[in-house]
Amino acid sequence: MRYPEHVSAGGNAPPADDLTNPFAKDSASIADGSQIFTRMNCDGCHGAGATGWVGPSLVDGRWRYGGSDGSLFQSIFYGRPRGMPAYGGVMSAGAIWRVVSYIRAQPVPSTVPTERWEPPQRP
Amino acid sequence: MHRAYVTLLFVTALQGTSPQDDGQWTMPAKNYAATRYSGLSQITPTNAAKLRPVWNFSTGVLGGHEGQPLVVGSTMYVVTPFPNVLYAFDLTQQGYPLRWKYRPDVNPAAVGVACCDAINRGAVYADGKIIYNLLDGHTVAVDAQTGREIWKTQIGDIGEGETTPMAPFVARNRVIVGPSGGEFGIYGWVKGLDLATGKILWTAHNMGPDSLMLAQSGRGAFGGAANIGVSTWSGDAWKRGGAPVWGWISYDPQLDLIYFGTGNPGPYNTEQRPGENKWTNSVLARRPANGTLVWAYQFTPHDSWDYDANAEMILADFVVGGRMRKVLVHFDKNGFAYTLDRATGEVLVAEPFANVTWAKGINRTTGLPILDTTKTTGVSKGNVKGICPSLEGGKSPASPAAYSPRTGWFYTATNNLCMNFEASQVTRIPGTPYIGASTPYMAGPGGNMGEFIAWDAARGRKVWGIKEKYPVWSGSVVTAGGVVFYGTLDGWFKAADARTGKPLWKFKVGSGVVGAPISFRGADGKQYIAVYAGIGGDWFLLSGDVRSDDPADVRPPADFAPDLARHTSQGGTVWIFGL
Repeated sequence: MRYPEHVSAGGNAPPADDLTNPFAKDSASIADGSQIFTRMNCDGCHGAGATGWVGPSLVDGRWRYGGSDGSLFQSIFYGRPRGMPAYGGVMSAGAIWRVVSYIRAQPVPSTVPTERWEPPQRP
Repeated sequence: MHRAYVTLLFVTALQGTSPQDDGQWTMPAKNYAATRYSGLSQITPTNAAKLRPVWNFSTGVLGGHEGQPLVVGSTMYVVTPFPNVLYAFDLTQQGYPLRWKYRPDVNPAAVGVACCDAINRGAVYADGKIIYNLLDGHTVAVDAQTGREIWKTQIGDIGEGETTPMAPFVARNRVIVGPSGGEFGIYGWVKGLDLATGKILWTAHNMGPDSLMLAQSGRGAFGGAANIGVSTWSGDAWKRGGAPVWGWISYDPQLDLIYFGTGNPGPYNTEQRPGENKWTNSVLARRPANGTLVWAYQFTPHDSWDYDANAEMILADFVVGGRMRKVLVHFDKNGFAYTLDRATGEVLVAEPFANVTWAKGINRTTGLPILDTTKTTGVSKGNVKGICPSLEGGKSPASPAAYSPRTGWFYTATNNLCMNFEASQVTRIPGTPYIGASTPYMAGPGGNMGEFIAWDAARGRKVWGIKEKYPVWSGSVVTAGGVVFYGTLDGWFKAADARTGKPLWKFKVGSGVVGAPISFRGADGKQYIAVYAGIGGDWFLLSGDVRSDDPADVRPPADFAPDLARHTSQGGTVWIFGL
């Protein structure tokens, strides 16, 4: 893994402490985060509504790198292997926190159906 | 090399009609003419039902296995999707054990810059080297005997959205390469590398001023005006206008021209790039030695539908309209099959091979499509419905066609999908998607989402077709024995009679087929067919939950093909079949 290459947003090591979202569940911040999610092309990989496309869904409650506010902030700020770009260089911390608020505000379904077979044809 | 031998080699490579096929498969599409025609004839419509698997091998990689193996001498070479492992199998030993395996150092950040799965379309053999592209913007040359890396050259920049899954092509000691990135707003190009050293000798952009396009003004059948790569754009939109080169390349040694297609303009929202956007969605003819642009023709000006023209340009000589012509044949994503004069770009035949609603036809005099203006898209047009083909194409460039000089017909996978298209404003942030559209698909008329067809390119008409439930996304190979092979997304590998289209044989290969089959002569003198199984590419995105190696990535079924994942999962396997 080449952290020096994908950590391109200033080169600072991730802080050891968990981070606190200054906006948390603020509704105006959530609405702003929704717009930023589209404007920063997040939907180009994660799909409209963050339901998944090339990149995985961000609204199904399953997390590769942790789903806490702090983990999400770090994923966006520093990027992740397998393709998540580091947005720390192009988004302010406040904008990233608003996107975190937006993602965290989305309802998580109890299950993601993976099967929808057509009923068998009767002879 | 003796001059007469050189001439013979060129002629046979171009025509694909060698009476004595050498039994190898040394370049992506078999020969310069890109016919994917094998001169081997042991497998016939009479005995094809007796085909059986003789060997298979898991590549250890899950991504979409596009492209094809190479067979050079008694070695088979296989390139995997990211992380782009290169395997060399010894075909002289029982069980075909590895001679060696090359594990390149590929930047995993490239995976997120690859628009539609981290695929690779294969390698080329030349001068004792296996040459292929790594996903992260590098070309490598590996010693075919030892697996030792000879050179490695950076050709692209993933920070700008460029990835490199295409199969390189070699002509006149130049390794010709290009990038993907039509969904990332790249400034598209092709490069010519020195075969011996990997040094970049020339770079030719697909739009912009003539000096950067290596263009000679005043040339070209449909548009030789000076700096047409700037004047057909608004402002500096050409600098982020796409035109990637992720498909296949062919070469006519007598005309000394390479042919390749360019991809879509970016972004999808047409209103951010007024103009014809040349030379996106075009075929370009260039000199391989120095990259000079000799002519170009644009299939879909000012593209409204993501109709990339990266599909192969197959070279053949046959009678069109009573005259013997040197042509190239191209099945475009836009649903039309084109037969062009390959010396000039003149449109000789352009007829739909798939269900088309965006245009009523192609004006052969001007070369321009006759648009249905109710199907053009853009933010101000809202949600435009009922566009056929979908942006997966009437045929995908990822599934190359084959041409048999024996039947005179072309054989190709096709898709029967339509789409709605709702564009949106988008901003380019380097290295992130630059798309700006939502495009849900639905099955086209008839309900079958695919068909494998034989096509008469002299007359522009379908000869026969085999309807398939799902889109057909595999390449094909046609043989002197009169058999054509292709695979399906639900994991069948099939043989059909090249003359009649009669299905002859099928075998379930374990995963959907998005690769291209080849035919070769084994060390025992027998004819074999090889193909990859391993669904992916766009079908990583469209098949639903077909990848199970990540508990954090679980996917719902696609609306238009909800049961595809009932029949297949991801997973790469190389198969060899024989009698």
